[in-house]
Amino acid sequence: MKKLIYVILAMLLLACGKEQKETSFAIASASWDEIIKQGQNQSVNLMMWTGDTKINAYMNSYIRPLVKEKYNIDLTISSGQGNTIVQILMAELQANKTESDLDMVWINGETFYQLQQIKGLYGPWTSKLPNAEFIDFDNKFIGMDFQQPIAGYELPWGNVQMTIIYNSEKVKTPPMTREALYKFAKENPGKFTWDNHFTGLTFLKALLIDIAGGNGSLNGDFDEKKYQKYSSELWSYLTTLKPYLWKNGETFPEAVAPMHQLFASGELWFTMSNNDAEVDNKIAEGIFPETTRAYVPKYGTIQNSHYMGISKMSINKAAAMVVANEMISAEAQLKKQDPSVWGDGTVLDTKKLPSLLKAKFNNQPNRKYAPKRSEITQRALQEINPEYMIRLAEDFRKYMIK
Amino acid sequence: MNANHFNILSNKIVFLMLTILPVGGGFVYAFLYSIGTIGILNNGFTLSHWVNVLTDTSFWFSLGYSFYIAIVSVSISILLALTIVLFWKKSLVSNNSIVSYLLYIPLCFPAIVVALFSFQVWSKSGLISRIVSHLGILTEITSFPDLTNDTYGFSILYSCILMITPFFAILFSNLYKQEQIDHLKNIAMSLGATKTQALFKIVLPVILKKAKITISLFIVFVMSSYEIPLLLGRQNPQMISVLAIQKLQRFNLNDIPQAYAIACLYMIFIGLILYFLFFSKSSTQLSVSPLKRNFDD
Repeated sequence: MKKLIYVILAMLLLACGKEQKETSFAIASASWDEIIKQGQNQSVNLMMWTGDTKINAYMNSYIRPLVKEKYNIDLTISSGQGNTIVQILMAELQANKTESDLDMVWINGETFYQLQQIKGLYGPWTSKLPNAEFIDFDNKFIGMDFQQPIAGYELPWGNVQMTIIYNSEKVKTPPMTREALYKFAKENPGKFTWDNHFTGLTFLKALLIDIAGGNGSLNGDFDEKKYQKYSSELWSYLTTLKPYLWKNGETFPEAVAPMHQLFASGELWFTMSNNDAEVDNKIAEGIFPETTRAYVPKYGTIQNSHYMGISKMSINKAAAMVVANEMISAEAQLKKQDPSVWGDGTVLDTKKLPSLLKAKFNNQPNRKYAPKRSEITQRALQEINPEYMIRLAEDFRKYMIK
Repeated sequence: MNANHFNILSNKIVFLMLTILPVGGGFVYAFLYSIGTIGILNNGFTLSHWVNVLTDTSFWFSLGYSFYIAIVSVSISILLALTIVLFWKKSLVSNNSIVSYLLYIPLCFPAIVVALFSFQVWSKSGLISRIVSHLGILTEITSFPDLTNDTYGFSILYSCILMITPFFAILFSNLYKQEQIDHLKNIAMSLGATKTQALFKIVLPVILKKAKITISLFIVFVMSSYEIPLLLGRQNPQMISVLAIQKLQRFNLNDIPQAYAIACLYMIFIGLILYFLFFSKSSTQLSVSPLKRNFDD
């Protein structure tokens, strides 16, 4: 027993005596060469969603070796997405920690909004990166995140558009409008639904924008009057659709992964994805049948970007910036966009690239089953203020799940 | 201070540090967060989060639903475990029997695996549905009844029973041996008791009384389960852990104090159950072996 007490006391002492690393480097005024010098031979902890084998393979077999070889940076990837990241950084801030366990985080609008609420991100920093000059910041789908200017606090990494995935063997003519969707669901009850998480809410946002008058109609700050007006119409439409949804609309798949599973097993004829290239990935992995196709209905779907942020209390900001710079290099973005690697859309303005790289982007192999990017972009909707999503999530429980 | 006293004191300190301190600390933190006195997005003392939770029917439905799942799954598990023990006690006693190996298998799987397994078995596109459809009993798999994400929590109950029954079977089988129930049964029968009388007057009362605290703790354990109801349950009603985590981790950071209020209420509820189990008069009597009392009488 005495030994056990000594071990516990020793562990407590060790935990208290963590060595303080050098944090005095003035990164805000440092040149890029100084940042590289400071960042090399360090380690970076990146927290990201690790639920896709292709994304994991890209990170583990391309980005990690790349930064290790060029800068001797040890990139550690830990698993966690939006809410986990917010919880960790909130807990650190509440505990008055001075050093974060997280250096980099993979986020998008909803998490960006929450992290800005708790002031958990470092910035502005993206203009320091040499490769950022090729980023298409003027693109409203890249430079704005959920109607919030990114303002140098997050670095665009990839751009995707939501698609609705269907089994073409069962669905000959996919519904292109709200009315057509209602008619289809009534004729084929139990085959359509959406998930009770981010992807499902993104679908609801597209319907809300459609009801409000189309793309741009809900741009800007959250507008209570507009929300009340258009959301009541949305819930009215969805409650008429409800009896014809999967399980009579009394319950919804908890996340997009179970919905994919229901689609793969044939229980559903539709699923959804926030990555417009996912249909190619899933067919290649043998998860979806080869008759699977993806489309964007006439009312459009949300296009958004995903980003890299650096935590405010990271003690490896320089190393994190060096890694981030490599992640947006033309070569890394080109590889990431390859449908056989990941198929994630680039955030670079390819017109700004040197001709050789531009040609490589233009000659990249096309997707086989997913619709062409150039076609679906015409129906791309801008993300709306995060407050709309919070309200939709609350009202979804109130009006649909009861 | 002699060595014996030092050992007793150090035992108490270690117990406090490893159990009471973290749980107590967590409760205090959750409580302070729920009344707005800590938390970076809170604006000072308020009871509004508690009022919101207590006046929200979803909290009470969740509590009731969790209790329903726990009572039903534990009751069925007890029946199954007793049946297994009474019919296969010889096989269970033998360490190398197939029955005992089969019984231990579900103990190896974590809850999330059991939940996925149940989904694969009981969903409309699952194993049973396909077999039934293949046999021509159903015209198509979608005609199979809703047994996952359903109102009555069928697949949640199934998963919980699958996980709990082996525990109870092992517990009951050990009690059977430890309390020499065969011996007691023989005495009763030699004095004229029938098999049924021996079962209902000796076997079941002895086992169930001795296992009362463990059974109660399992009710608490099932009420607090998370992964199984998350995957197999519905969004309404939800089990209490799912409701709390949803408030804690979803899109609205201002809901976090409500999540902590739910956690506090649930801890108080569990604390009361534990208090009655361990400190009330009737429970302290349980520490005396019912067999010993019988023999003393």
